[in-house]
Amino acid sequence: MKPLKPATSILKPDQQSQSQSQIQKVEKYKIIYNKKAESEFFVDNSALAGFTGERILYMAVRELIENALDSCETFSILPSIKISLKTFDQTNDLWILSCEDNGTGISSDKLPVAVCSFLTSAKYMEKQQRGLFGVGLKMVAAFTTKDTDFPIKVWNKSTEESDEYYFELRTDIGTNKPIVLKKSINKSESQIEGDSGFKIQVILRARLVPITKSKIYDYVTQTSIVNPYAFITFETDDGIFTFDRRTSIMPAPAKEILPHPSDMDLQTLKKAISKFAGQKITLPKILCSSFQKFSYDKAKEIVSSAHLDLDVKNPTVDFNEHDLIKIVNMCKKTKFQNPNTDHLSPIGQEILTIGMMSEYTIVSNKNNEGGASENNSNIVMVPQIKKSNNENDEYVDGDENNDKNISKNQINNNTNISKSNFSVKVLQPVLSAYTSRTGIINNRPTIIETGLAYGGDISSFKLYRFANKIPLLYDEGSDVAREVVSEVEINKMGITKKQAKEQFSTTNKESKRDRVIEVLPIHIFFHICSTKIPYKTAGKESIASEGELKSYMKSCLSELYRKLSTQIRKELKMKEAENKLKLYKHYLPFIVDAITESLGVKNSKLNESFSMLIEKHLTKKSNVDSVDNDDDYDNIPANNTNNITTNNTIVNGDPSSNTHSIQQPSNSKSFKIDLENRKKTESKKNNLTNHDQGAEGDFTFDASFNVTNDSNIKGNSNLMHKKSNNNRNKNKNSKGSKPIPNNNKFKNIKTTKKTMSDEYSKKKIKSADFHSTLDSFQQRRVNKGKIK
Amino acid sequence: MSSEKKNEAIVTIKKIMKKISEDVIIQKQMPILDLPKVGYDNTVWSDEKRMLTIGDKKIEVSPDSVKKIPTFAQYLVMANAIKKLLDEDMESTIRGMYYATLSNVGDEKNKQKFWNNQDNSDDAIKAVELLTGIPREEFSVTSKPKGMISGPIKLRVGGDIIDCNLGSRSTSQLIPTNIGDVQIDDVKADFVMVVEKDTVLNNIRKSGFIQKYNAILMTGSGEPDRATRIMVKTLNESWKKPVVVFADADPWGLGIALRYKIGSESLSYDSDRLVTPDAQVLGMMFSDIYEYNIPEVARLTATDEDINRANDMKKKPWLQNKKWQKELNLFLNKKEKCELDAFFKHGFKYLAETYLPRKLRQVGII
Repeated sequence: MKPLKPATSILKPDQQSQSQSQIQKVEKYKIIYNKKAESEFFVDNSALAGFTGERILYMAVRELIENALDSCETFSILPSIKISLKTFDQTNDLWILSCEDNGTGISSDKLPVAVCSFLTSAKYMEKQQRGLFGVGLKMVAAFTTKDTDFPIKVWNKSTEESDEYYFELRTDIGTNKPIVLKKSINKSESQIEGDSGFKIQVILRARLVPITKSKIYDYVTQTSIVNPYAFITFETDDGIFTFDRRTSIMPAPAKEILPHPSDMDLQTLKKAISKFAGQKITLPKILCSSFQKFSYDKAKEIVSSAHLDLDVKNPTVDFNEHDLIKIVNMCKKTKFQNPNTDHLSPIGQEILTIGMMSEYTIVSNKNNEGGASENNSNIVMVPQIKKSNNENDEYVDGDENNDKNISKNQINNNTNISKSNFSVKVLQPVLSAYTSRTGIINNRPTIIETGLAYGGDISSFKLYRFANKIPLLYDEGSDVAREVVSEVEINKMGITKKQAKEQFSTTNKESKRDRVIEVLPIHIFFHICSTKIPYKTAGKESIASEGELKSYMKSCLSELYRKLSTQIRKELKMKEAENKLKLYKHYLPFIVDAITESLGVKNSKLNESFSMLIEKHLTKKSNVDSVDNDDDYDNIPANNTNNITTNNTIVNGDPSSNTHSIQQPSNSKSFKIDLENRKKTESKKNNLTNHDQGAEGDFTFDASFNVTNDSNIKGNSNLMHKKSNNNRNKNKNSKGSKPIPNNNKFKNIKTTKKTMSDEYSKKKIKSADFHSTLDSFQQRRVNKGKIK
Repeated sequence: MSSEKKNEAIVTIKKIMKKISEDVIIQKQMPILDLPKVGYDNTVWSDEKRMLTIGDKKIEVSPDSVKKIPTFAQYLVMANAIKKLLDEDMESTIRGMYYATLSNVGDEKNKQKFWNNQDNSDDAIKAVELLTGIPREEFSVTSKPKGMISGPIKLRVGGDIIDCNLGSRSTSQLIPTNIGDVQIDDVKADFVMVVEKDTVLNNIRKSGFIQKYNAILMTGSGEPDRATRIMVKTLNESWKKPVVVFADADPWGLGIALRYKIGSESLSYDSDRLVTPDAQVLGMMFSDIYEYNIPEVARLTATDEDINRANDMKKKPWLQNKKWQKELNLFLNKKEKCELDAFFKHGFKYLAETYLPRKLRQVGII
C-alpha cells in the first residue's frame, strides 16, 4: 500500500521573489502540477477498469462474483455464492446489489482498506487469480459513494476471527481512504451462515439496458459453466435462479511461485537483491533463491561471465545498476528450463467436461423500455428459445407498470415465475473432447485449454471464451479465439465447407454468417490461464493475439476437430443418404407423369404402387448398406460356395469323401444333368409364376447352374453376375431372336460390386408379347435396343 | 413424314410405358430398361459389313438406386416429350427438346436440375432411339442443318422442290436435317464428291467443276450430321453413284473422311443407316504434301495429339492395307500435316483444275 499524499503544489518558494515581469511571464505560462489520489484517478477514468456507462452493473456483478470465487478457491473451499440484483428506486435508477460468499473473509482491521482503498490487494503475487489489480471492489465502493448517500454494508466473518463483524463504509475519494461509519460485532442477527464468509451490499445508480441485462445473465451462467463446483444463486426482479453444484471436485489451487529468470529485468533483480539488504550473502546465492529454475552453478556462471566479482558479500551496496544490467543481459541470452506451472490453476478435462454438459436458459419476461438492441423484446440466454416469449412483448418493465397491467399471462408468470423463466438443461452431446497446451506467452507460462461439445441436444454453434476462469462476453469479434475459429479450416474434421453448409444448415437462406463452422451444432470452449493474459483492454473482455498464443490455440482446435472427425463424418454420411433418399422421391412424379401422360390414362394406382415399390426396395437396401459393406460383401460369396458344396454333396451321395476341388470335374456331369432337368422345370415355373417369391431358392439354383456349366467353383463375386448374364442368355435363347453369346465371354463384363438385395430386387422384364411387337421393328435398320 | 410412321412411333412409346406401368402395378417388380451401351468400348468392327457396329454390351436402367433413378426418369420424360411432339405434329431440334423438358427436381434444400446440360438430354434422345428402335428423324427431332450440297440433283422436301443445280456456280443448298421428309427426285450427276469443309466446297463450285465433270459436291462442314451421311449413303447405294471423299491431310481430317466410310463410335448403333462402305477416301494423302510440292510454309507441324491419334489409327483393322500404313508411317516420320486449302498457294484454281482431276483420273472416276 502506497502512502497517501495530499495534492500539493510544487511551486518553489523562491519563485515569489522574482521580478514583476518575470512573475507575469510565469503567470502566463504557469503549469500547475498536482498529485491525484488513486481513488480519484480511477473514478475519473473508470473506463480503464471497464466501468463505463451502461456496463456499470455488469462490471459490479462481475467484480463481486470474481472476488467471492477467489476467496473460496485459494483455500479450496467449495464456493457457495448468493448474488442479488434488484431494483431499489425505479425513479432514480437505483439498484441494490449484494453478494455473499463462504470464502475466507477478511480480517476485520484490514477490511475497510480492502473494500475501499484502490490498489490495495492480497493478490499481488505471481499466481493465477481472477482479480489482479485491486481495483474492482473499490470501484464498486467508490461508485456507491459517488452516486448515492448510502453506505456500503459489509458483513464479514474471517477465518482468523470468531465473531461476525458488520461495517458501514464509504470511500473518501479525494484521499483513497475508507470512511468507517459503523463497525460492530454482529451477534444477534448473523448474516453469515458458515464458518467464514463475506457479504457486501451496495446501492448503485445505473440504467440497465436490455443488452447489459442479458450480459449479466450470460456472465452468471457462464461462470457456473466454467466453475461447475460452485453453488450460485442469483436473485433478480425476474426471480431467483439457482445454479447447482455439479461436482465437488475443484481444480488444485494455484501456488505462488518465484519469477522465471528469462523474465528478469532490472527492476525485478533490484527487488530481489533488496530483500537481502544488510545480509552477508553472495549474488549467485540471491539469484538462485529468488528465481525459479536457476541453479547455484548456473548463477555463478552467469555472474562470472558478466565479469562481476563472485565473492562480493554485500551486493545491495557493492553493485550499481550498470553492473546489474549485465546480469539481466546475460540472463536474457541464457536458455533456462521452461518455467513450472504450479502457479496456474487450469480447470482440467474432468471439470470442464462437466461444465460443458450444462446449459441454462434464462428468459426475462419483461420488456425493458428503451434500448434499441435486437434483444429488445426478450432477454434470452439461449437464442433458440427466443420465440417462446413473444406474447409478452406488450409488457413494460418495472414493478409499477406490471402491477397495472395484470393479465392472464402476467398471473401465470407470477405464480410460476422461477420455473417459466429459467431452465437448466443437462446437455447430452454426442461427443465431447478436451485438449490443452502449455507454452510461454508474454514470458509467462500459459495453459490453453479447449473443449468441444458436439451434437445431441446441442442445436447451434456457440463460442465460449474464458480467461483465468472468468467468462469473457464483450468484444468477441476482436478476440483471438474468434480469429482462431475462423482460421482453422473445417476440413480438419474431414468434411468440406460445402458439405457442412449443405447438410447442416438449418435454414434455406444463405447464412448471414459466412463462417461455415457456425452451421454446426457445436460448442467450443477456450480457457486461457496465465498470470499475464494479453487482454486488449483493462476491462478484461477480449484477448489479443500475442506471441504464439494464436498458434497454440489453433493447434488445440485442430486437434479437437480431428477428434470430432469420425463422428461428424458418420453423421454427414447419414444426412447425405437421407437427402438422397428425399431426392429419389422427387423423381417419382416425373416418371409417373411421363407414363400417365403418354398412355393418356390416369391411374392413381401407379403412383401408389411405384412409391411402395421404391420404398420397399430402399429400406431393404439401406438395411444392407448400414452394415459394413465390405465385410458384408465378402461374406455373400462365401455363403454361395457353401450352398453349392452342399448341393454337390447331396447329389454325390457321399459327403465324407467329397473334397470338391478334386472331385468336382467327375461330379459335374451327373450333377449337370440333374440340374438341367431341374432347370427346365424350374424355368417353366418361373415363366408361369412371378419371380417374386422364393428369391432365395431361385438364387441358389442359378448359382449352382453356373457352377456346373463352368466347372468353376472358386466362389467369388462373379457368380452373381454370371447368374444374371446366364439368366439373360436363357431368355434370349428361348426367344430365339438372337444367337446365344458364349457364356464365358460374359463372365467378366460386370465386376462392379453389388449387394445381394440389389441382385434380388432386379426382376427382369420378361415379356414375350413385348418382344413380338419389337420383332416387327427389327426389320428397321436402327433396331438395336430392346426392352426385356 | 408419313403419318403411318408417326403412329408407329407413338405406339412403340406407349408400349414401353404400358410395360413399365404393368410391371409396377401388376407384377410389383422394378422395371428395367435394357439398352445397348454406346461408346468406344462397345464398338466392334465388322469385316462383313465393312463398318463399325455396336457390340453386345448392355446397360440396364432401372429406378432401383439413387444413382439410376434420375436417368430412368430422364428417359421416360424424354420419351413422353417425343410422343407429345408427334401428337402435335410438330418438329423440334435437339436443343428444343432440351428446353421443352427442362425443370428443377427436389425441394428448396436439395435442388438439382433435371438436365445438367444439353448433353444429358441428347443422351436421353439417343436412349429413346435405342429403346424404340426408331431413329430420331422419325420423331421429328432434328439438329441444326450444316451439310451442303450442290450439283445436278433435285430434292423434294414435303411439297417443295429444291434444285441444287441452278447453274450460277454461286450457291449451295443446305441439306435438310428432317431427312425423313426428304426424297431425292432426280440425280443427273456421274459421281459424288464429298469434301471436309464448306470453304473448299465453295472454291471448287466456283471453278465450274460441277459442270465440267458432272459431279455432285457435298460437305458436312467438319463432322457430318446424320442427314449428310444418309444422303451420301443413299446416293451411293440407291442411285449407284460412286462416292469420293477429300479431307485435310491430318489425322483429324482422315477421321472425318472415315465417318462417311466406316461410321463413328458414338453412332455405331445406327451405322446401317449412315455408313457408305463403298466411299473412297482419295485425299488429301500425306504423300500428296510432297508429291504436289506444298511449300514448307503452308505445312503445319503435327501436335502430340495428332501423333497419338495417328498411332492409334495405325492399329485399326480398317486401316490395315499397305497404302494406309505407308501414309500413316509417312506422317509419323515427317510429323507434318496440311490442309486442302494449302493448294491455293499454287493458285486459286489449282485444287479444282489440277489436283482433284488428277486424283479422280487415278481411280478412273473421270
